[in-house]
Amino acid sequence: MGKNLGKWLISGPPVLYLVVFFVIPTLIMVLASFRYPGEYGGLAPIMRHDASGAHINLTLESYQEYFSDFIYSWLFLKTLAYAVITTFFCLVMAYPLALLIAKSARKYRDLLVLLVILPFWSNFLIRIYAWMIILGPQSVFSQLLNGFLGLFGIDPVRLLFTPFAVVVCLIYVQLPFMVLPLYANLEKHDPALLDAAQDLGANGWQRFWRVTFPLSLPGIYAGIALVFIPVLGIFAVPDILGGTRGIMIGNLIKQEFLEARDWPFGSALSIVLTVSAMIIVGLAALAARRRVGRDV
Amino acid sequence: MIRILLIFILLSVPAFGADELHLYNWNNYIAKETVDRFEAYCKCRVIQDYYSDNEELLAKLAAGARGYDILVPTGNALASLVRQDALLRLDKKLLPNLKNINPAYLNTPFDPGNRYSVPYAYTVTLIGYNVEKMRQLGLPTDTWAVIFDPKYLARVKGRVTVLDSQRELMAAALKYLGYSANDTIESHWDRAMRVILRAKPYWAAFNSSSYIKELTVGNIWLVHGYSNDMFQAQNDARAAKRKFTLGFSIPKEGAVLALDNMVIHKYASRPDLAHKFINFMLDGKNSSELTNMIGSGNPNLAALKYIEPEIAANPAIFPGKEELKKLEMLQDLNMEQRRVLNRIWIKIKIE
Repeated sequence: MGKNLGKWLISGPPVLYLVVFFVIPTLIMVLASFRYPGEYGGLAPIMRHDASGAHINLTLESYQEYFSDFIYSWLFLKTLAYAVITTFFCLVMAYPLALLIAKSARKYRDLLVLLVILPFWSNFLIRIYAWMIILGPQSVFSQLLNGFLGLFGIDPVRLLFTPFAVVVCLIYVQLPFMVLPLYANLEKHDPALLDAAQDLGANGWQRFWRVTFPLSLPGIYAGIALVFIPVLGIFAVPDILGGTRGIMIGNLIKQEFLEARDWPFGSALSIVLTVSAMIIVGLAALAARRRVGRDV
Repeated sequence: MIRILLIFILLSVPAFGADELHLYNWNNYIAKETVDRFEAYCKCRVIQDYYSDNEELLAKLAAGARGYDILVPTGNALASLVRQDALLRLDKKLLPNLKNINPAYLNTPFDPGNRYSVPYAYTVTLIGYNVEKMRQLGLPTDTWAVIFDPKYLARVKGRVTVLDSQRELMAAALKYLGYSANDTIESHWDRAMRVILRAKPYWAAFNSSSYIKELTVGNIWLVHGYSNDMFQAQNDARAAKRKFTLGFSIPKEGAVLALDNMVIHKYASRPDLAHKFINFMLDGKNSSELTNMIGSGNPNLAALKYIEPEIAANPAIFPGKEELKKLEMLQDLNMEQRRVLNRIWIKIKIE
């Protein structure tokens, strides 16, 4: 009993916190997506009163709107593509880096990890604005690149305000979230396993592919989840760097809440996004479990 | 008797707690010296909070924000707040300086009779440009066509930005087509949408946040934006000793004028200080400081003599009688219209 009480005392506050600030707001949003927008923004009352009495004022209108025009799904797919590309490049770039850190001498590891998280010390928006300068037509980077392209008679390319700028910045912003879980995983690997593999005649590639990589899968999944899901909802990066072609679903959701003052539709979009993200992550987890099951 | 006194004191404690005025204003929309002087005058503290667009203000209030005394909404947002009964009626007896305001800016459709609001400052949504580039490329600077007509745009491809705002961009396109900025006929909106979609491939971005910098640096040569921002860009370019100069002008087809107004929130805890503040800001000198700082349009006639001559002579900041007739204030749309416009906007953004 005393043990149980202690457990509750420790886990109670965070559970309560999640219920109050996550579960309840999510339910409010689900309800909001079935309501009508208020005339001046906000939401229309749930009960409507007229001559024939009180009616419940709920509707599927917002979801109908989403499915009535392919344009929304198209934007959703585009966002998904950005997220997949970002996650892929983060993984490809973060893996060698995490491995390098995990294999470096113990006394340097903390310093190297610190260097990975160093960008977090400056504000997110400032880092995005910095990319505006880096990719701007007057920047050294742009001028070198265009000078190089000019040698081959290729017209100068514009980097800023393009989908390219958005993806580059997304990769930059999300990279540490891939490095950290990978490092945390790789660092714990027992070097004796690699020695054993070598003794059994495995070459370098085989040791990586048959030992290190399978063991690091939990780190990879964690990294993918940490990168992929936030990218789906991001709006600041496309807002600032995206130009006329770079918007993502997050921008649309923000626009519904602020400019259009259509909370129900904004809520419906958020829910479609959340549910889709959950389905994708669920499928990925399922596939992963099956794969792990097969390998063992 | 003592009991009544006690009750009175208890009741008045929350209302007259600290001598603080909570001002919820646009970013960079009041001069520091003005605030300092007001604090000295009222023996109170001014606590400032900022928003960057009306939607943010409305959304925050709709979500139940309390504790602000003064808000500074633009016309259409003002109308919205009036209809929501979110404002306190002004006591004109406490505002003798109201006589300073140019009658042309009073009695707007947003608040007939100015029961709730007093004009503060205005901006015009217009075009700003790199003077030398425009001359080199032989582009006109007195018409919306330069933003919308591919004939001109082909020469500045990728060097143009327009505001990331449904209403503003639509208004500019409607004006270009010769309609009212407040036109809500769907076929006209449809035409405007096609004008925008035709021009979009030539634009670098929808940009409401960083076009000042882009103009100043020389990356962008032509923008659709606000007169205040153009004024700032012009000054910045001069201060940075750029090889080019920036200019801005009101297109001959007309443009949007956004009049910002001081209002008192219904849930203000210090209506007394709020009235004091409004009357203070209606004073000519106090009002002029904002214009001298950010180049905002000024509806205060008594302020003119304190305004720097260069600003006062700029027709894009102080439009003449004829130009003023062509400027329109945006009216609020109803929910249905907002939904239609929003769909058009999504098409514009995604296509």
